[in-house]
Amino acid sequence: MDHKIGVYIDTGYGIGEALDIDALSSVATSEFNAVVCRTEPYWSDPEKLAIIRNDIASENLTAVVIAGASSRVFQTEFTFENIITERINLREHVVWCHPPNDEDTQMLAEDYMRIGLTKTGKYEERPPYTDPNEKGILVIGGGITGMTAALGAAEAGYQVYLVEKEQKLGGWLNKFPKVFTGRFPYDELVKPPVEEKIKAVSSNEKIKVFLGSRVFSISGAPGMFDVVVRPDGSWIDELDAIQNQWLAEKKAKENKGSDEPEPAQASQEEAAKLPPMPETLDFEHEKVSVGAVVLAAGWRPEDPPGLEKFGYGSHPDIITNVQMEELASKGKLARPSDGREVNTVAFIEVVDEQIAHPWLYNSAVGSLVALKQAHYLRNTNPNGKAYIFYENMRAPGQYEKFYRSMQDDPGVFMSKGTPVAVTNGGSSLTVRLKDTLLGEDLEVKADLVVLSTGMIPLTKDSSILNLKYRQGPFLPENPYGFNDSHFICFPYETQRTGIYTAGCVRGPMDILSCETDAMGAALKAIQCAELVSQGKAVHPRAGDESFPHIFTQRCTQCKRCTEECPFGAYDEKPDGTPLPNPSRCRRCAICMGSCPERIISFRDHSVDMIGSMVKAIEVPDEYAEKPRVVVFICENDALPAIDMAGINRLTYSPYVRFIPLRCLGNINMVWIADALSKGIDGILLIGCKYGDDYQCHFVKGSELAQYRMEKISETLQRLVLESDRIRVHQLAIDEYATIPKLVDDFMERLSEFDPNPYKGF
Amino acid sequence: MARDIVTEPDLQFTKDLIAAGGGDLKKCYQCATCSVACKIAPDNNPFPRKEMIWAQWGQKDKLLNDPDIWLCHQCNDCSTMCPRGANPGDVLKAARKLVIQNNSKPAFLGKLVGESSMFVLALGIPVVVVALILLISGFDVPAGPVKYSAHHLNPKDGFIWLPVLQVTFTAALVFAIVSLIMSLKSYWNNLETNNPVPVGTARKGFVPGLLEALSEILPHTTFKECEANNIRYSAHLLTFWGMIGLLVTTAIVAFNVDILGLAPPSQNGPGTIPIKILGNVSAIAFVVGLGIMLLRRLQTPDQAGGSSYFDWFFLLVICAAGVTGLLTELTRWAGWVGGAYVLYAVHLVFVMCLLLYIPFSKFAHLGYRTVAIAWAKSAGRNIMLPTRGKCVSAPPKEATQS
Repeated sequence: MDHKIGVYIDTGYGIGEALDIDALSSVATSEFNAVVCRTEPYWSDPEKLAIIRNDIASENLTAVVIAGASSRVFQTEFTFENIITERINLREHVVWCHPPNDEDTQMLAEDYMRIGLTKTGKYEERPPYTDPNEKGILVIGGGITGMTAALGAAEAGYQVYLVEKEQKLGGWLNKFPKVFTGRFPYDELVKPPVEEKIKAVSSNEKIKVFLGSRVFSISGAPGMFDVVVRPDGSWIDELDAIQNQWLAEKKAKENKGSDEPEPAQASQEEAAKLPPMPETLDFEHEKVSVGAVVLAAGWRPEDPPGLEKFGYGSHPDIITNVQMEELASKGKLARPSDGREVNTVAFIEVVDEQIAHPWLYNSAVGSLVALKQAHYLRNTNPNGKAYIFYENMRAPGQYEKFYRSMQDDPGVFMSKGTPVAVTNGGSSLTVRLKDTLLGEDLEVKADLVVLSTGMIPLTKDSSILNLKYRQGPFLPENPYGFNDSHFICFPYETQRTGIYTAGCVRGPMDILSCETDAMGAALKAIQCAELVSQGKAVHPRAGDESFPHIFTQRCTQCKRCTEECPFGAYDEKPDGTPLPNPSRCRRCAICMGSCPERIISFRDHSVDMIGSMVKAIEVPDEYAEKPRVVVFICENDALPAIDMAGINRLTYSPYVRFIPLRCLGNINMVWIADALSKGIDGILLIGCKYGDDYQCHFVKGSELAQYRMEKISETLQRLVLESDRIRVHQLAIDEYATIPKLVDDFMERLSEFDPNPYKGF
Repeated sequence: MARDIVTEPDLQFTKDLIAAGGGDLKKCYQCATCSVACKIAPDNNPFPRKEMIWAQWGQKDKLLNDPDIWLCHQCNDCSTMCPRGANPGDVLKAARKLVIQNNSKPAFLGKLVGESSMFVLALGIPVVVVALILLISGFDVPAGPVKYSAHHLNPKDGFIWLPVLQVTFTAALVFAIVSLIMSLKSYWNNLETNNPVPVGTARKGFVPGLLEALSEILPHTTFKECEANNIRYSAHLLTFWGMIGLLVTTAIVAFNVDILGLAPPSQNGPGTIPIKILGNVSAIAFVVGLGIMLLRRLQTPDQAGGSSYFDWFFLLVICAAGVTGLLTELTRWAGWVGGAYVLYAVHLVFVMCLLLYIPFSKFAHLGYRTVAIAWAKSAGRNIMLPTRGKCVSAPPKEATQS
């Protein structure tokens, strides 16, 4: 559609002194027919904003283009109701990192004007998707985390459905005799506050509790989830078996694929289909509709491999710390074997190098539990001796104070140490350790030996969510068995939009952390339900009203979009075409990059739009000796890094043109081809780090881009061009100082080639 | 290195250490800042880190047979730098007390001196002894100028009948010396057989070790390395040499009077003869040194370290002996007859206290420390001292300019 564009060039920040502003204006007015083009310093000033508003009203503008500071600043100021706003960065990307009043700097600024105005011209009108309007919250798990999340959401005014598989709320808290206080002076233990919490949940009329029940299935999307709740029964074991078999097959297929140099997801022809679950609900059940889900299923103990090495299972007095809680809840500690009073306890942190991920077994929770259980003994037996042998003693935050108080107790003996063996010495057990702080091997006698156990998320290999998604019933796992999200930046997030994890299902946690976590997840769930009802995206593009549009007539049913979407937004129609669930979508546009037919587009982000932006760059002929490089750059981390390079006045080649993408996973071959055939000499792709510790905001976008670029050689061969003209880089936001080298190295490499022979065609 | 197996911690021992002044020992988390801070710890197996974990783990045999606890001069560099406030200096001090107590012969006297509950009894014994001497001497005093010693009872020509005084005090001294030697012998044997610190094979004998130890102890070379409580070095040096001076004075006078039968002119006040000057200077050095240490303990406990009953008892006795001794002399000089005799009696009580309890009070450190240092020297441990004198000299100017 044709837009009536107003262009406002900022002459502040040194822009006016460094550039020929009149020439920039004439790009807007003569090349792009802007209705208005004004130049003033500091358009973010309220008086200047009034001028823009006035123009919008008097000239009936539909789009406003601000050429000045980075789009990361003044976002509130430059927001105009129902007006498309585009920002051109003449500050950080041009005048702050290139010499003033230089021919190349001017050409760069003019190209950015063309790129920005072209983009604005390609905006489409499409109202947001506002179908989802359920705002209730489903909380799975009635332990401390689930109850806290439910109460939090209910107190905020939302209807909550709480599903607990046991007949009583409270979960693990019912089994622990004492817990930490979380209050000054932090050196005492109290009875778990479980009864109060159960009472609060049961008496809250906004919370509907399903006891002895499980989630049978979840279908739909955020804002419109349909949940079937079914009383617990043997059906869950059948479901476990079916789903785990499916998962095993899927993993086998992926592993087979990974022998070839391509990421597993993209290599799949088609994921293993899940055996259909019974569609007829011919059993006792209840249906609820919710807007978002808090998954607080909790954990189960799992004994680490090698526990039997320390006599576990061979002697009743060698127990795990979970069994110790049970023992302690009976009052004074008595030996399971003969009922004799326990005078000495050895707590051993079992560390086995063979374990795939020691974090599961060797968390701060393990240290805290040992300290707490030593307190059980010392509190009931003044002559008791508690030995704590640890690999790492970790008491984060205020727990340090509890640790110190236990350390001060003369009857508590702590040392780092590697357990060697536990042997039965008749009347007591003998624990042998090496590498202790005493500098010697250590042998102590103990009435009771307590071994640390692992905390495994309950979602591992068991059916909790039972999602009726094409991508399977589970949340994707990270290498450690927990659900995968970018846990550093985005706690609670999962790869299934609208489902937020909290508590021990997310990582080993103590009770106080679980409560904090529960509140965070509840708020996230509320935020999700609210945003999707307004047609807006959730984190990390919170507020984005665009959503993918598919021109289905041209779809070839290749299923790449459904396969590659990291968030499982696409289901499948019976005819094989994708069935979008817009409220599951995070708007990363990876599907746009995956579609070979280029039929997926957003109203403000499309293959055509980016292609046109590339084509808007003016390419001087080969005799000008001014090469041109297009940089497709991820706007989440890499683009801000470019801003930071500008803020730090780092200089680099003026021949590069940055074109931001929502994610490097957007990259489409056609842009590369367009650029090269227009005479662009080189193409750089800069995205987030990928791999096990990926930083991609959309999980695997940059990895997919890398994979796609490996296939670019065909295109280059067709054009008879050197393959080194394209390079992919990973850049973290704090690596901005490396940008000049990164760019200049690439320019250096390009200078070894002749100019692109397609210039001028 | 073959490694020992540690068994059963002795919980009671840890509690004893805590009671003896090592109250913060459990706070240690083995960062070893103390061993780095200590200027006089040997390079191999430095103290006090290892002593701290032995203390925490109730390793009685190790800690009590560890010569290193006597290499420490309690300068408290470690305690002031400890990030956890575990006060390693105080822990070593408590361990030293327990060493003295555990090696005491007879054992009950160790307990008598070490326990605050026994204070009345501990002070009562010398009081009774002096009272008996007074009883034998008779409470009457001769008229005229103050004369402390009576050579004849009939007529009585002084305050206290000298022979009974000589016999009692010599007996007390002999008892103390014999007891101390026996205790030290047992301690030396423990060091030989049970010391927890690995030593080299080339051993020197006791005598060379002792000589080397004395060459370090007499000038206090190691003591000088301390920083946090450096003034204590000067104070202790004063007290130490004052004590020796007083000992020499007493020995010379006793030798002259009792062996040679000479009666040197009795001088009152400052005096002019060498023996009197030596005595006075020593007494002043002794009292001033003690005064400084006492003030430091009271004013800056964070640097001086915590003070337990064991410390206070010894300080009380030795200060009281010094001060009453000096006052005895001053009152006689001033001619205050009544005060002079009372003070003399009190002085005798504290001197008796000092002598009798040499092997059981903190006074015993003169023996234990000497033996432990001698053992360390003979074992080739603690050989790199003093460190300060060996500091690398400043680089030549050219080097710094380039």
